[in-house]
Amino acid sequence: MPKKLLQGNEAIAQAAEAAGLQFFAGYPITPASEIIHEMVNKKHIKTMQMEDEIASINAVIGASLAGLKAMTATSGPGFSLMQESIGLAHMMEVPLVIVNVQRVGPSTGMPTLPAQGDVIQCIHGSHGDYFPIVFYPNSVFELFRYTIAAFNAAEESMSPVILLSDGYISHLYETIVPHYDCTITPRSRPALGMGNRHFTGLSHKGSVLKTSDVNNYRQLIASFREKQQMTAHRHNYFEYLECSRETDTLLISYGALSRAAYYFKNDFALYRPIRMFPAVEEIRKIAPRYKRIRMMEMNTGQYVYEIERMLHREVEFIPILGGRIDPKEIKQTLYEQ
Amino acid sequence: MSNDTRFKRYLKLDLLPTPWCPGCGNGIALKTICQAFGELELPKQGTVVVSGIGCSGRSAGFFDLDSVHTAHGRAIPVAEGIKYANDTLNVVVVSGDGDLLGIGGNHLLHAIRRNTNITVICYANETYGMTGGQVSPITPHNTKTLTTPHGNPDYPADVQSLFKHHNCFYARTTAYHLSHMKKCFLEALKFKGFSFVEARTMCIVNYGRRLGYKNSNEMLLHYKEFYRINDYAEELAQDEIGILKTTTVS
Repeated sequence: MPKKLLQGNEAIAQAAEAAGLQFFAGYPITPASEIIHEMVNKKHIKTMQMEDEIASINAVIGASLAGLKAMTATSGPGFSLMQESIGLAHMMEVPLVIVNVQRVGPSTGMPTLPAQGDVIQCIHGSHGDYFPIVFYPNSVFELFRYTIAAFNAAEESMSPVILLSDGYISHLYETIVPHYDCTITPRSRPALGMGNRHFTGLSHKGSVLKTSDVNNYRQLIASFREKQQMTAHRHNYFEYLECSRETDTLLISYGALSRAAYYFKNDFALYRPIRMFPAVEEIRKIAPRYKRIRMMEMNTGQYVYEIERMLHREVEFIPILGGRIDPKEIKQTLYEQ
Repeated sequence: MSNDTRFKRYLKLDLLPTPWCPGCGNGIALKTICQAFGELELPKQGTVVVSGIGCSGRSAGFFDLDSVHTAHGRAIPVAEGIKYANDTLNVVVVSGDGDLLGIGGNHLLHAIRRNTNITVICYANETYGMTGGQVSPITPHNTKTLTTPHGNPDYPADVQSLFKHHNCFYARTTAYHLSHMKKCFLEALKFKGFSFVEARTMCIVNYGRRLGYKNSNEMLLHYKEFYRINDYAEELAQDEIGILKTTTVS
């Protein structure tokens, strides 16, 4: 397969096609718009530009129930609008993929600059308890590879899967071979129009409403968690680089920022989660080898709580705010403290 | 009509009775929808009902068809997603005025613009019944509700005006005018393009009671006295029900 110079967002679109995408609905938003631009030119993908992100996610839910592999793509503001229906998709067990190309917030923020401010929103943005699977690659090839993984995970878990990106890697051009050898998980649930099933956001057991049955609710939530963990098990993605020199420090970062962390691979051991949620268990085995654990994020501290929760120990946190990833600046911060 | 039991095929009879209050008009509309399905002999495999949230939103679960009970206001975009994914399906949205015209109003506007080939049936009871009876987008001016204790200061939305210039189907009917209601549903289901029926249904418990109606029968009789049928008119007056004259596009 020939090499291609591809933008991150183009890689997402090509991978989605390779993973069997048949329906896309979206609303224009910087820095995710290139994805819908790519989709409208693809023959076998029905693409709709909806009136807003709420309509987009709901059209995707409808299309997925009607039997098509479906996805939407947006950025932080649109992702916030989608939250209620993401909860609905979890409750109705609808497989779909949501790409969130993060930009600086809150609110309109700095639309063209990258950030990592939507990490917590991925798991706690909708009301109630639900258990999404979230991937966050850091290169154009990885966007390709993990978009396919996201589609497979969605089918395996019968739930929405979130692919995080950011304004930096989605707008990055890299030469890649747009191909990844893996099995594509086919649709498993019969499409709408084949029976008398009732899909509902109310607590339920199969097609029967159980709006005040406490035990049934507890079982339902437990089954969601179990499904997520079974699926996540098959998608155990992370990167761990041991330092060539003796070091007592593990530096954790992810997404665009982790590309800057590679500059410091001769001084620190590096760890990068790719499957953000549920967090990869391996960190529990890696962390005890290091006295100091430091973490960089392009927010004021979101994933650091997850790492601290897992390790039961303090993690030094370095915020890199405002969308500027400057290795010199990062170096200064890292070596001064 | 009374001997025609084809409508039963479309209902999950074992789930009855519905959760609606005694005297509610939703059941009348639900049965009439099923009668229209029966008359058209819509295939059960190949027909999908989508609903939103509220009293009317509970309708979807009673159809013996594949059905989707979506988030509040989002029945139309879900239905559009289903229709675009598989255009051989008959997609019917059943929801209320608060759901379709209030929280979901933007989606209605754009579904009309896109002229998506789906049928939307709106149980228009002029109130948010499930939450206790608050003012809705089509509550008449000066009406007292829980959230307008001094009377509704606003005027009801003129829904038909959204449809006039888009070659979509619009009809208004009431729970009193049974055969007219069925006619509206039949024509809406047959229409190629976006069709919308505003079916006035009475809510005695959380709405009519506060307006001085003694029972739901009085509300039905009000429909009888207040509304005149004016089918295929250019425009429906406030006290008229009927099918708006539209250009059929196919």
